Amino acid sequence: MYTRWLFFLSILVALMCFPLQWYPMALRLQLGQWLGADEYRAPPMAKIAADTTTELPCPEDLLNWRDAQTIAGVDVRHSPGCIVDNPNAVAAFVRGTNNVSQQILMASGLTPDAVEKGRDLDGDGDPDEIHIRLEVVELNGGSPESDLPTTQYAIAPGISPGFWVFAPKMFGMATENFESSKARSMLRLPSPAIRVEQGDIVKITLENSHYMPHTIHFHGVDHPFVDEDGEGNDGVPVTSEKPVLPGSSRTYNMQPRQSGTMFYHCHVQPHVHIMMGLQGLFVVEENRPNNWLQTLNVGAGHVRVPSVAVTEKFDREYDLQYLDIDIDLNNRIQKSNDPRLITRDMHRRYDITDAKSDFFTLNGRSFPYTFRESLVVTKPDEHIKLRIVNGGSTGIALHTHGHKVTATHYDGVEAKPAARITRDVVWIASAQRVDLDLETTNDGLHSYGSGIWLLHDHQEKGVTNDGIGPGGNVSAIVYENYLQENGWPKTQGMDFNKFFTAAYYRKEVPVWGDLLNGKFSDVEFDLWMLIRLLGLGLSLGVMVALVINGINKRRP
Amino acid sequence: MVIIKIFCVLCILALNFSIPVQAETQSMQDEHHHHNMTLDSSGLVMNSNDNTLPQDCDKLSRDYNIKVYAGTKYAADYPGTVFGMDQHEYQVEPCSRITVTFVNEDEVRHQWMIHGLPRYLYPGGMFHLEAAGGHSQTGTFIVPSDNKTYLVHCDMSQHMEKGMKAQLKVGKGSGDLWAIPGVSKGFIQDIYIPEEIWIYLMMVSIAGVVITTLLISSKRS
Repeated sequence: MYTRWLFFLSILVALMCFPLQWYPMALRLQLGQWLGADEYRAPPMAKIAADTTTELPCPEDLLNWRDAQTIAGVDVRHSPGCIVDNPNAVAAFVRGTNNVSQQILMASGLTPDAVEKGRDLDGDGDPDEIHIRLEVVELNGGSPESDLPTTQYAIAPGISPGFWVFAPKMFGMATENFESSKARSMLRLPSPAIRVEQGDIVKITLENSHYMPHTIHFHGVDHPFVDEDGEGNDGVPVTSEKPVLPGSSRTYNMQPRQSGTMFYHCHVQPHVHIMMGLQGLFVVEENRPNNWLQTLNVGAGHVRVPSVAVTEKFDREYDLQYLDIDIDLNNRIQKSNDPRLITRDMHRRYDITDAKSDFFTLNGRSFPYTFRESLVVTKPDEHIKLRIVNGGSTGIALHTHGHKVTATHYDGVEAKPAARITRDVVWIASAQRVDLDLETTNDGLHSYGSGIWLLHDHQEKGVTNDGIGPGGNVSAIVYENYLQENGWPKTQGMDFNKFFTAAYYRKEVPVWGDLLNGKFSDVEFDLWMLIRLLGLGLSLGVMVALVINGINKRRP
Repeated sequence: MVIIKIFCVLCILALNFSIPVQAETQSMQDEHHHHNMTLDSSGLVMNSNDNTLPQDCDKLSRDYNIKVYAGTKYAADYPGTVFGMDQHEYQVEPCSRITVTFVNEDEVRHQWMIHGLPRYLYPGGMFHLEAAGGHSQTGTFIVPSDNKTYLVHCDMSQHMEKGMKAQLKVGKGSGDLWAIPGVSKGFIQDIYIPEEIWIYLMMVSIAGVVITTLLISSKRS
């Protein structure tokens, strides 16, 4: 008999616990007319912000890498950003790693044959035989010893997708030291920008140090389909050559007749390998006397030794490479250690036609790291050359705050002056290159004056890290009077420390938690409502048990 | 054996926890080590030592000459690896002198790097041979007196993970390291199962239910 009473009691409890918010609107209106407005009860308090550890936004330049300096007779320009290239490597790339001292090689980490420079064939004071050796490096790969990635490289705080990159040939360990799992600074995304001179006899050797087959295809660079020996030279595994197997090497030969901003990338399973990071800028500079080029620009970005032709017309030069990342592809290399399983996962189970991008990088980093190393720094009345490639799977709508830029070259071919377009959103399709002239004349058109002016993809997902903003490929055009001594911009807005926490990009930190005394902070939950809901769940459970019991009893 | 495994787990854990502590500023300094090193386009030899005894050794016990061959072809015997060495375990006596000739038969760089040696003799605690593709390198080191297992590997990105890992046991050694081809399994192990495993599992479970039900009902009747 008591079960009947228990049943009624549970219905009563369930009704009492059922939240007002879930009543049908008509019932609420009727109740409101009968009983009047509900009494005030304060909503829950603001949640006290979690203690988040912050990385140093602008680490100190302990080795004075930022300073202008002369190394091996090469004038390496001052680089204004927080984190800049190793000037010893820059000098070695200019002079040739076969032509610098042991000391400079040691300080650069490069092998003596990384970039060999030979004879001056046209007698104009610079070498015309260039031999570049590239290896393939995996960043954030898997391991049979730990579930943490190896040779770690973060694009933003706490974000380390797997990558494959072409890298200059370096000696020693892949990490900073035995105790660290971090990749050494020259092993990074994107693959280095390559610079050669028009007419140079160029050899590029791919030493495939990776566990998968790769090639190099020179997109837009003048090269023969086969070399002198009839060997494939186009890098396409189905038409010109077999892929370069792990532990093997192949040398590509070319003598580019035309100058311009070009592209290079792996052409093995390109929908996977290009997106994994096996791609870089390839610049053919115009032939000039005494034109000693910075053959590799590691991580792209500021060119510290620009070519003679560029310095004729421009005050500074920046290489900008954009790439979007589908984390579902890039993290597959972390999920198993057996290359057979990895290749099955990447080349058969992954379907790029179902892909969507999660991260958006400029020169291998996403905001806020872009502010450390990819700011475009200028002064008033300058011309800056921006060489841009979109290595990603979708177009980018590159927007310059405070400036209208002029596109001078498309895919390495100069546009006639009458055909040049000056605008503030430049569309760059996949694999396209655009050379921009960023003029900083304060005339209300080319520039609106000094400041910190954002530079970003205006397709809005491109300014997020997996949907959290600010993130993505956001960088800025910064005037020197808005730059601190250490290279960090004199921003006047929100505190940057919050963005230098992994928690912010794990979506754990309220966007405006520090504004207006916590008016936009996270909220504690309503304990009373929680108790009611638990009561509702319990009484429903009791009801179900009683119903089952009742049915069982009636069975004969 | 179990104790050794637990010890290895603790080591890996300790290593893992130490990683996030690394400061960005520190990393920039670390690129400037000063080792005893010869470098040319055939490779490098780092911290070679053929005459200074470790503090705990009175005299050399004996000499070893080890020739190590490296290359993708030596991975053939170990499924799931791509890079290889012809030997993955070396056994030497305490206080012995070991001369290693490292022959690289690939067309890319490879390394034979040993860690954990006394730092007062070997900067960074390591002895390192690096051979460019098609080259060989020779170097010598002297091990201390204690029974210890040393990690030997190629530290190029993913080369250790994909097969180029070995161990050097001095005396009785101090157990086996993880993931040494032919010696020990990985701590993180891949799982090899058919793609339709869930169908198989479901079918077996249903079979279990059916058989049990039939058995019970047959007993009742």
